Amino acid sequence: MSSSSTSFASGGGVRPWTSATSVSFSGKRIQKEMLDFNANPPADCSAGPKGDDLYHWVSTIIGPPGSPYEDGIFFLTITFPGDYPFKPPKVVFMTRIYHCNIDAAGNVSLDILKDGWSPAMTISKVILAIRAVFTDPDPYKPVVPNIARLYLTDRAKHDEIAAEWTMRFAR
Amino acid sequence: MHDSKANDSSVSANARDFAKKRRVNRSAKLKQCKLDARREQWLSQVKGNSCKVTPMASPPTSSSPPVSMPRPQSCLHDSDMVFPAHIPISNSSGNTPKVGCCLNNSVSRGGSTRSCSLSASDGEEEGGRGEDNVALDDWEAVADALSAYKVNDGCHPSHDTGGTFVESHVPPAPVNDPCVQSTMKPEATRTIPRAWRPDDVFRPQSLPNLYKHQSFPTNMERHFGAKVWSHPVILSAPSSCPICYEDLDPTDSSFLPCDCGFRLCLFCHKRILEADCRCPGCRKQYSPVEGEKMDMSGVAPLIPFQLSRSCSMSSRS
Repeated sequence: MSSSSTSFASGGGVRPWTSATSVSFSGKRIQKEMLDFNANPPADCSAGPKGDDLYHWVSTIIGPPGSPYEDGIFFLTITFPGDYPFKPPKVVFMTRIYHCNIDAAGNVSLDILKDGWSPAMTISKVILAIRAVFTDPDPYKPVVPNIARLYLTDRAKHDEIAAEWTMRFAR
Repeated sequence: MHDSKANDSSVSANARDFAKKRRVNRSAKLKQCKLDARREQWLSQVKGNSCKVTPMASPPTSSSPPVSMPRPQSCLHDSDMVFPAHIPISNSSGNTPKVGCCLNNSVSRGGSTRSCSLSASDGEEEGGRGEDNVALDDWEAVADALSAYKVNDGCHPSHDTGGTFVESHVPPAPVNDPCVQSTMKPEATRTIPRAWRPDDVFRPQSLPNLYKHQSFPTNMERHFGAKVWSHPVILSAPSSCPICYEDLDPTDSSFLPCDCGFRLCLFCHKRILEADCRCPGCRKQYSPVEGEKMDMSGVAPLIPFQLSRSCSMSSRS
């Protein structure tokens, strides 16, 4: 009697228990990151959940001064996977941008969002890294080769186009 | 088990099996340092107690944990009312106490007989396992038994002694003697809390420094901001896992999987080992030796080893 009831409880409890913990596991972490981010936000950046869903965030980055993206407001969506700190978040630009490391769909090719991801990184560091890519593109690992080529051959032309796109799409 | 042939009765084999299983479980769960710390705690209490608990020097009885100590006074009262003849029991196996060297002696005997009886019943179950590990196991067993005992501790302290104990002729200690009260009280208040204060004189050296347990200083720092920088050590030791933000328990705090010094909890470490196996701090691969030694999977080879050892042990005895 007692053994059957225990086996039932454990058998019935296994599946919801696993999913519940995995969600609350990443949920707790994301919640903590949100608090930390709000307490100490990086300069010219903002980030927070889109609605009630902790796993979908919207972030804004203001184009850093001295770059062709200066004064542009770039919107990003950040999607946290269910096994979040162990898998990197997905960051997509909602605002069009002329950048050799960001493709037309807004996908960012950033090492720390792929193989270079570490569970010890936080979303605030990710946003800072993206912001750093604004000022220092990596033309040797481009996702848009044309922009990278222009960046390497004719930097002035590249910056001009980038500033024009920023004026057009990011204001 | 294959050695059950060597045993004369299947009952004892069953009991031994059970004891083995329990022992394996327990030793898998508990860390050696925990046991050492408890033993040292106990020893230091004995040291602090000028009066003798030494009569219980035989292997099973020497292992009574400090839990038994805070209770002698109440035990005395209880048993004095209900079983007036129970207090002065002593061990018949040659461990006759030095009677009446001080009042405290007989009082603490009250406590020690309780633990004697408990460990004796435990010893029956454990059969003839004679090894150094017995004492360790007994520490846990007696602690469990005592805590379970406390729950349903009505007023019969030594019902399960069977025939192992006989009553000696020590007169019952005078309960209302102010001397007893005064000597017992500070000891009782000192031994009831089982956690050591960081500044405690009797604190064993082997206890790890767990900064997260010092919640009071942390609060102090919050109130007096100037004090924050006077405790750099406290700040440098993380109190929660940087991956999952759960609090680090003592095991996690002493867990250092990577040379770079990045700390994380065992659960997160296990998940990382299942995936890309790189340290979150330096992104280098966790060294396999380190992983085998520290990971929970390291328990698996431990169990057959202990089983085989206890098998050979019981067949020998």
